Amino acid sequence: MTAVLVKAFRDLRRRRLQAVVVFVTTLLAVGTGTIALTLIAQTSDPYQTAFEAQKGAHLVVDFDGKVDPGALAGTPAAIGASAFAGPYRATDMQFQSGGHKYTVTTIARDNPGGDVGQLRITGGRWPSSSNEIALTRSFADLNHVSLGDRLRVLSVPQASILTVVGVVVDIDELRADVGGQQHAWVIESAFASLTTKGASFYQMDYRFSSDPTSAQLQAHLDTLRASVPPDSITGSISYIFARTVFHISTEILTGVLVAFSVFALAATAAIVANLVTGIVISAYREIGIMKAVGFTPTQVIGVFVLQILVPTATASVIGIPAAMVLSQPLLASNSQALGLAYQPTYSPLLGLLALAGALLIVTIAALLPAFRAGRLKPAIVIANAAAPRGHSGRWLRRLASQARLPRSVVLGLGDATARPVRALLTLLAVVLGVATVVVALGETRTFNEIYSYEGHIGKVDVVVAKSPALADADTTKLINSQPETGRVVAQAFANITAHGIADPVNTLTFRGDSASLGYLLTSGRWFSGPGEVVANGGFLQDAHLNVGDSFTGSVNGAALKLRIVGVVYDFTSGPGGHILMLDWTTLAAGVPDLFPSSYMVTLKSGSNVDAYVRRLAAAQPDLLDVQAASTGNTAFLSVIAVVLLGIAGLIALIAIAGIFNTVLLNTRERLRDTATLKTLGMSPRQVIAMVATSGGFLALLGGLIAVPAGVALYRVLFDQLSALGGNTTPPSFYDVFATWELIAIPIVGVAVAIAAATIPGRWAARTNVVEVLHAE
Amino acid sequence: MSELVRLTEVTKVYQGGITGALNGVSVAVEKGEFAAIMGPSGSGKSTMLNLVAGLDRPSSGTVTVGGTDLGKLGEAGLARFRRDHIGFVFQFFYLLPNLTALENILIPAQLKGNVVPGRARELLEQLAIKEVADRYPALLSGGQQQRVAIARALINNPTLLLADEPTGALDTHTGDQVMELLGELHRHGQTILLVTHDAKLATRHAARVISVMDGKIVDDARLESPDRTASEVIRVRGEEVSR
Amino acid sequence: MSLKYGVMGLLAEESLHGYEVKNRFEAMLGGTWEVNIGQIYTTLQRLERDGLVRPAGPRGDRGKLLYELSPEGQKALKQWLAQPDSGPQQLHEDIYVKLLLATRIANGDLDGILARQKRTYLQRLRDLNRLEERARRDGRIDLARLVRGALLHTEADLKWIDELSSERFGAERASTK
Repeated sequence: MTAVLVKAFRDLRRRRLQAVVVFVTTLLAVGTGTIALTLIAQTSDPYQTAFEAQKGAHLVVDFDGKVDPGALAGTPAAIGASAFAGPYRATDMQFQSGGHKYTVTTIARDNPGGDVGQLRITGGRWPSSSNEIALTRSFADLNHVSLGDRLRVLSVPQASILTVVGVVVDIDELRADVGGQQHAWVIESAFASLTTKGASFYQMDYRFSSDPTSAQLQAHLDTLRASVPPDSITGSISYIFARTVFHISTEILTGVLVAFSVFALAATAAIVANLVTGIVISAYREIGIMKAVGFTPTQVIGVFVLQILVPTATASVIGIPAAMVLSQPLLASNSQALGLAYQPTYSPLLGLLALAGALLIVTIAALLPAFRAGRLKPAIVIANAAAPRGHSGRWLRRLASQARLPRSVVLGLGDATARPVRALLTLLAVVLGVATVVVALGETRTFNEIYSYEGHIGKVDVVVAKSPALADADTTKLINSQPETGRVVAQAFANITAHGIADPVNTLTFRGDSASLGYLLTSGRWFSGPGEVVANGGFLQDAHLNVGDSFTGSVNGAALKLRIVGVVYDFTSGPGGHILMLDWTTLAAGVPDLFPSSYMVTLKSGSNVDAYVRRLAAAQPDLLDVQAASTGNTAFLSVIAVVLLGIAGLIALIAIAGIFNTVLLNTRERLRDTATLKTLGMSPRQVIAMVATSGGFLALLGGLIAVPAGVALYRVLFDQLSALGGNTTPPSFYDVFATWELIAIPIVGVAVAIAAATIPGRWAARTNVVEVLHAE
Repeated sequence: MSELVRLTEVTKVYQGGITGALNGVSVAVEKGEFAAIMGPSGSGKSTMLNLVAGLDRPSSGTVTVGGTDLGKLGEAGLARFRRDHIGFVFQFFYLLPNLTALENILIPAQLKGNVVPGRARELLEQLAIKEVADRYPALLSGGQQQRVAIARALINNPTLLLADEPTGALDTHTGDQVMELLGELHRHGQTILLVTHDAKLATRHAARVISVMDGKIVDDARLESPDRTASEVIRVRGEEVSR
Repeated sequence: MSLKYGVMGLLAEESLHGYEVKNRFEAMLGGTWEVNIGQIYTTLQRLERDGLVRPAGPRGDRGKLLYELSPEGQKALKQWLAQPDSGPQQLHEDIYVKLLLATRIANGDLDGILARQKRTYLQRLRDLNRLEERARRDGRIDLARLVRGALLHTEADLKWIDELSSERFGAERASTK
């Protein structure tokens, strides 16, 4: 054993460069892997974790303001809740901040803690006086409201001003950019002045000792209904709903992260395997000598495995804690992006898992070639002096020769594939690296695309929201009187009841050239007249209808004969949600008092959007909310972009290290061949060209495989995202990559690979022929 | 006959473990000569060959080949020089293991950008190794490998063929055949510089034997080649006849 | 001694006249050993005297006598062939003595002697090489083998000279330091 240790450590000292390459690669990989694992651990069920930490409510029920609050006190016992909070008094409050108007559900609550629905203060403090308010962080982020901002309350006659003093994370409500009205909090003494008579209601938070099922929640709701006067319950949100909505936005991110982590680990394993094989091959003759002096096969294996394990273990011991620390800011922004409160989490178990995983992969990668080393027959090894070499890549050389490529290039191509297993492992790393970059690029763009799509970016310049107090005719006149106004599409919300669908279906009614809004159809066509309707995939599925089918809907009791002419690509309705889109004329008959809630204005080209928005807003400051069309909360998107591109970048880096390593191993093993070629008149430049070709070729091949693979993988992930909304992805949505980009990605890859290969190439070009050839 | 190679006051100092230093060597080789550089291992004979091939640079002194002062050429220039003027044959053949015999032979031409499969086939035929053209070196006998190496050295019609112990890794019979081949090439006008420690081989075809010892030329013998009768060369003699 | 057995060997093949013996003997040795007819006759007479050869029939025309090997001669030849060469190493060349003298005599010019001898050996190697080649070309494998032996002997001589030279160089270098 002593001999094994001595030999292993002496070898390590001698093969310092190899040890460094192993160390750096492992450090990168273990780091990436740990970051990925940490993210997975956190994103796998971040909602549940936060829900437990903040003692989230399983059920939040709104009761009519006329209910006796004393009667509500008995409700938790009636449904067997283990804890409860409330009744809180609450009201819908409209306020204005920085020219924009918002509506939030304002709740009277004196402290953020308690047994149920704890609020995490992420900025500022809890309100302490009656002119202070706390907002949810996702709302504040989305609408760019900061601590210290002053909000003008519009929903009560006596205008009052509230100062934002706190930003909190509330686990029991939906994130602002996902939808739903957001919560705000004031102290109880401030509440009375913020509500009008009859506009306030009570909110109760219930929590159970174990997570109830959907049916149990329904039963609890029924019990509650029975215990209060009829129609007293005005609304409810279950944790299941909140969780489902939350998961839509995280699922895709989690999926991508898991995929990326697996990629990173696979790329690492491939490169480590290459490294070990390289060491074994370069030590081929030594193995023979070792065996001749009495090392057993097991001891030979031991020497090689140790040589790899020492640098990898060192890298892991440094890399894993470092990565855990480094992943914290990422986790923090990820939490923020997910609308959760961030708590630094250092899981020793996770670290140990990463360490064990890294060592296991490395040991397996090291064992395979080491076993080969252990089995070698000493006489053969000593006699041959160098490892046997393959002849593969012959067809490639032939092909290249026929193409009349320069000889150094042809030889480089042969070198690249001379060791098929090494070439394949390198290729694997390259393919993973490039594919990850493609997917990361694609996904980040897709998220932006979806937001742009939902916001009609590029089709609509300005969105005008109208207060019911302002007449449609006046608004239309005002908008049309602006010289820049090009096209106006008015939009109204309605609910249509359809047979087979339990809840009323959200319906968007358009007046004007609605086709110009750019809604994408996955099949069929856009509606072109009365009675025609487009629906989302979820609706068709649940109503068992197909394009071309007719059905009867009802609105305000009036029957409406509708024919489905197309399927629209839609995210707004969410998973299992339904949406219909139709023309104004179709609905106007059944709903006489149909009025638009917003107007989507497209300006004539070359118009100044800001000036337009300012002028229009000034025309009706209280009754119109005029905003330039925007993509909403893009902070969330940039976090995703950073995470995805960051990991992709790391994997790409590992791939580059892989190419460098392979080229280094190849040139070292082929030192004698290079020296021979130099005696035959190969110039230093030709040597560098030869080596660079071997690296560049692997990158090119990898790129040619990885780009289509990456695009395909991206599509699969995108399809999953679409499927969450019950959609099939319209083909045009796949085109987030420009052709030149898909060409440029492998070209850049090849360029980087060539640059990396040039370093060992230069070493090879400097080969001292005399030393190499006469050292035999 | 014109002068092809000239070493003037060449010294070569090595640091470290490499033997074969040269100490003030001056010598010239004529075009068309078959000269042997002979000496024990470490005497500097291979160093001389490497300097002539431009594989190494002298510590001082000049090496001129075909009128070109090799000291004036850069790395790329030396590579081009080797490509155009030098054919090199080694003791251990040094064929590229992942190329076939024919591909090996073609390399020097291809490095020049020439495509000369015809010439390669001609050489294969001349060296009687036509049947191994598409085989890989590992499948060839030592003699075949060396023939391939010689063909490779000849593909660019080098001005100078350098052979460093070309029979060192071959059995006597095969070695004789390889030497016969070199003699044949010489008879066709090829200038050859042969490095060997074997006097039998050196004198076989070379009419000139340059003896090197401890980095110096200790003898430069030009041998005659008259057709001598056996009795002029060998005398077998028993004991005197007793009466 | 070898001439005696050489003659016996040739007679073992077939009966020969004295002149035929001379010609056959010289051809066998490829001209590396020239004998005169007198030596042959003397040898034959001695052999006849010792009962190892005997005349095969009466004297022919011009007085030629055909000789053949006697049974005793057969036995003696067989014995000789089976017996390995022993006895002291034979050094015929003058160089050995010159070397001894040159180290004794002041200004014996040992270096000159060695250098000149080396040249001679080299030339001899070349000549032997050519001879061997010629023998092979003529299909005289037996002769080529003989030449090969001479080649290796000369190579050994040359090595000896080189060794002496490097000894000299070493001594000079040591003394100048």
